[in-house]
Amino acid sequence: MGILLTDIRKSFGSPPTQVLKGISLEIQEGEFVSIVGRSGCGKSTLLYIMSTLDPPSSGTVLIDGQDVNAISSRELHRFRNLKMGFVFQFHHLLPELNALENVLMPAMKANRQEERKAFAISLMEEFGLGKKLKSFPGQLSGGEQQRVAIARGLVMEPRYLFADEPTGNLDSANGNAVMSLFRRINQEQKMAVIYVTHDIDFSKMAERTIQMSDGLVLS
Amino acid sequence: MLFLALRHLLSRKRQSVLTLTGIVLGTAAYVAISGMMLGFQTFIVDQLVNNDAHIRISAREEPIEPHSLDEDFFGPEALVDWKAAPSGRRDNAYILSPRFWTERMDRMPEVAAYSQQLVTQVIVTRAKVAKAARLIGSDPARQAQVANIKNYMIKGQFTDIGIGGNRIVMGDGLLKQLGASVPGTVYLSVGKGQTQPFKVIGSFHLGVKALDDSTLFGALPDVQKLNGTPSRISDIAVRLHDVEGARELATSWNILSQEKVQSWDQANEGIMSVFTTQDIVRNSMTISILIVAGFGIYNILNMAVTHKRREIAILRSMGYESSDIVALFLTQGIILGVLGGIIGCLLGYGVCEIMARIPVADRGLGGNHMIIVFFPGIYVRGFIIAFSSASIASFLPARAAGRLSPIDIIRSENS
Repeated sequence: MGILLTDIRKSFGSPPTQVLKGISLEIQEGEFVSIVGRSGCGKSTLLYIMSTLDPPSSGTVLIDGQDVNAISSRELHRFRNLKMGFVFQFHHLLPELNALENVLMPAMKANRQEERKAFAISLMEEFGLGKKLKSFPGQLSGGEQQRVAIARGLVMEPRYLFADEPTGNLDSANGNAVMSLFRRINQEQKMAVIYVTHDIDFSKMAERTIQMSDGLVLS
Repeated sequence: MLFLALRHLLSRKRQSVLTLTGIVLGTAAYVAISGMMLGFQTFIVDQLVNNDAHIRISAREEPIEPHSLDEDFFGPEALVDWKAAPSGRRDNAYILSPRFWTERMDRMPEVAAYSQQLVTQVIVTRAKVAKAARLIGSDPARQAQVANIKNYMIKGQFTDIGIGGNRIVMGDGLLKQLGASVPGTVYLSVGKGQTQPFKVIGSFHLGVKALDDSTLFGALPDVQKLNGTPSRISDIAVRLHDVEGARELATSWNILSQEKVQSWDQANEGIMSVFTTQDIVRNSMTISILIVAGFGIYNILNMAVTHKRREIAILRSMGYESSDIVALFLTQGIILGVLGGIIGCLLGYGVCEIMARIPVADRGLGGNHMIIVFFPGIYVRGFIIAFSSASIASFLPARAAGRLSPIDIIRSENS
């Protein structure tokens, strides 16, 4: 199944500036994929389109054989809640919730917080956050916050994890730890991980690298 | 979203408490002012409704216009140019056909009781003191059914006036001014005829100074005899089973009769218009307070939406829908409105309890404390106003938050 993009184009502004110029690609289930390229080449836009956060100007996005443009908004949100996880450069934790509550936010939407609680705690223990369950974001370091955000992206055991510059705001030690975590999740849980990065070393950790330039996929 | 909404509110305690305080004070002000003003209105209405008739039928007064006598003097076709046009008042001091009315009253199911009266101005004299007063002659048994006068008696029994024998009861103010006592004797005159002695067999205290200082009740035949108008009556006081129907009934009777017919509220339209003004002032003041509180909620939630853009984007990326985001912010406003409404009602109740203990001038059966009403409707209305203003004020920021596009927020954060 996986993700299949066909002739994806995306324009912004008026007069329109074409950021993506007809991209077609396929991502298999369980793949570990990096998207690289210079700033402004359309990496993040491509990631957001394949993760259904941003609709394309034209072209089709099929996820698990389903055209995401053809399903209702409610279905799309449900799909995103159950099958997708996100990690952003800025971790964006909710400051009024503790670490465990932040991790459980996607489960709360599906009204499955009790059911997912044990898994959330085990994830946090696995990420070295076992003693920080009740800590608020302001009491955590940048690396810890990013690990909480990753745990949040994984709590529903999604089929796809999308990450936009997940190491962009971290020092190299924390960056390495995050990438190792991604790799381990991908191998152990067979979850597809698609991440955008500027870092050549981190991009090389992927099984496959999508090289972009000026709105086109080079390789 | 209740859990997250509560956490949002608790995370900015000072702002939440300030906003809540605004709603609480607005609601409490509404409850306290309503309790006080409606208490006053209820007392006055009670005085008007229960101390007098629901409907009063009295002789009609009609001013004489320059040509209103042309036909009487010169026939219907005449064109008259008066050198000195007639002027004055054509009135009947007495009801022309009392039997027509009494027969009618006996038949009408709406009428609970009626009392024929002769009301006249008298000079009351005791020793060297003389005072002008209003003497109401009636059948005391019937009069007691029409008005609550017997409840306001402080000495003697109202019905002891009987049906004759020159016995009267008088307001305690007048009694004091005359230096009279119960029992005692005073002399009444109507300006024509002889002065007659009347025995004071009781006194009353209505709590309305103007009435207590100038009102006397006597038996109808005695007053007719004093006035030199046997068998005449000037008024019929009517009590209905349902006071709410008084205006409608009085208006319909007024059209059909020669006499002037007025319901209690028509007769006191000046007072009723003061009540209307009071209500407008009360509602305007409260609405102003709640608008200010509403703007407080609007501002705070607007700022919260701006500050929470990132969180909104992340929630949307997790699968939270636009309606969830609207609910998140709307719930905060509703929580403030519900809490503010409840606490405001409780505070208002407390203020009313304290005000009800403040001593004021003696008002007869009204007691000697401020009259405060505790109608449940005041509290329900206060709560609804607080809840509505908070909900409306939070709806606009909530809707704006729901319309935010997650991808636009993420892009602006990354750029």
